[in-house]
Amino acid sequence: MTPVTNSIKSLFPIFSNHPALVYLDNAATSQKPKSVIQSVIDYYEKENANVHRGLYKLSSSATTRYEEVRNKVAKLIGASDPNSISFTKGTTESINVVAHGFLKKLLMAGDSVVISGMEHHANLIPWQQVCKEKKALLRIIPVDGDGNLDLSTLDSLLTTNTRLLAITHISNVLGTINPIEEIISCAHKKNIPVLIDAAQSAGHYPIDIKNLDADFLVFSAHKMFGPLGAGVLFSLEKYRNQIEPLNYGGGAIKNVEFDHTEFLEYPHNLEAGTPNISGVIGLGEAIDFIQSLDMKSSILYTNELMIYFKEKLNSLPFVKPFGNPVKSGSIVSFQVKNVHPHDVAGFLGNVNIAVRAGHHCAQPLLESLGVPSTVRVSFAIYNTKEDVDRTISALIDLKKFWS
Amino acid sequence: MSADLKKLYSSVIKAHNETPYHFEKPTTTLTIIKAYNPICGDRFDLYITSPITDYRLPLTLHFHGFGCAISKASTSVLIKSIEGKSLNDAMEIVDHFLRFINKELRDKELILPDEFLAFSGVHDFPERLECATLAWKEMKKYLESKNE
Ligand SMILES: Cc1ncc(COP(=O)(O)O)c(C=O)c1O
Repeated sequence: MTPVTNSIKSLFPIFSNHPALVYLDNAATSQKPKSVIQSVIDYYEKENANVHRGLYKLSSSATTRYEEVRNKVAKLIGASDPNSISFTKGTTESINVVAHGFLKKLLMAGDSVVISGMEHHANLIPWQQVCKEKKALLRIIPVDGDGNLDLSTLDSLLTTNTRLLAITHISNVLGTINPIEEIISCAHKKNIPVLIDAAQSAGHYPIDIKNLDADFLVFSAHKMFGPLGAGVLFSLEKYRNQIEPLNYGGGAIKNVEFDHTEFLEYPHNLEAGTPNISGVIGLGEAIDFIQSLDMKSSILYTNELMIYFKEKLNSLPFVKPFGNPVKSGSIVSFQVKNVHPHDVAGFLGNVNIAVRAGHHCAQPLLESLGVPSTVRVSFAIYNTKEDVDRTISALIDLKKFWS
Repeated sequence: MSADLKKLYSSVIKAHNETPYHFEKPTTTLTIIKAYNPICGDRFDLYITSPITDYRLPLTLHFHGFGCAISKASTSVLIKSIEGKSLNDAMEIVDHFLRFINKELRDKELILPDEFLAFSGVHDFPERLECATLAWKEMKKYLESKNE
């Protein structure tokens, strides 16, 4: 494995403050490099002003910096137009904008929305609620025992009444990388728009929106080395004037009279109120950080870690792994027999190993796996083989402790 | 192995986790008290199988479900501590346990059964307080509703 990791680790201040920390909860949120943290501090210390409204230098430079990030995000996902990018609070808000601002007015009783059985609650509940309100059906692409989508059902699930297909690129529980190109092309043959939940993939896996041809793509800055509270909604041009804002207010308008408002165009119409300027600037810095790495080697590296971990895990007779997807990101779910996942996570936490236990906001998926919760380990570029070894040896200690 | 963790998973807790008290679904039930924590997925059903007469809980109570060792053991201790008790006594026991976990007891109230003391380890793990008190809080609500 590439020795580059030790130097990468030193770019993340959390590890100098907690030298013993083994951080394996990257699917929940990644750690932030110094450059990203510093960009947020610098903004407040040297550049703080509100955007879009001031005629003084600080304000216009804040506006420029904020708008520049649209460019960076567009480049990251291969979009040609920076104005395809709307800033939100994160994946959850982006999906809600599409569900309420776009889908709701198209949806009629008897129509359907298709999602998969492995969605995060954020890519399930907004559709479920809109469907309920409009008496439409939420239809589910099933997941097989290995954690792959059963795509043999796709053709019959997508009908002339399907108004949207929403699907995750990478499962946050099993790590499954879904064949989204194939799914999108299947949906497009029937003129069904597709939303891709890229929360687990953006910034870590190559996304080229032009090849992919997704209609909407959403993600959060905080899972790709950026700050909390900033996220992205990408929309294809043809839908942009059909998306109505969730929030109305200042900053999103051309002209306001008492009985009438003329709104700015997408993406600005969706960004009413003072936006998370420092968060967006931090997102821009995170993209610079990502672009300073070689994405391919990063994926190879975290994949090797994941495989090394899975192999070691499989050699422990008291461990039950979940899912064995054809293509997998660096996320692994498992249980220790006869020890509840929370007791596992608590035990590991006690020796400075951060993992997650629970339903990972994907209750229906866990239900289909037949368990209420799992332990989840997820890798990022700053993790090492030693992190894996420490985790495995802690699991062996845990087994001794419990028997 | 840290001493904290040994204390958290005391032998009493491990024993209750392995062989919980009256851990079964009765064939008929009158009332099911749901002790669910949607955040972590713990789900225990506490069963009252016969009517409450003379302000007294039935002689045997049961529970079933799943959760971590702390929540399972604490539910087990709860069932064992209050079955057959008068509503007032049960309330006092539940209150005592909850105030112990929340560190609200006065010195002279600190005489506690061993099965309560076994949970003192959670004082070092604030994120586990919810596990230790989940079923007790639901039982408290139930008892309050019966005492009205
Ligand atoms: C696949 C997936 N979708 C959506 C989300 C929600 O992201 P956020 O909480 O940043 O809005 C997450 C985060 O946990 C996720 O993993």
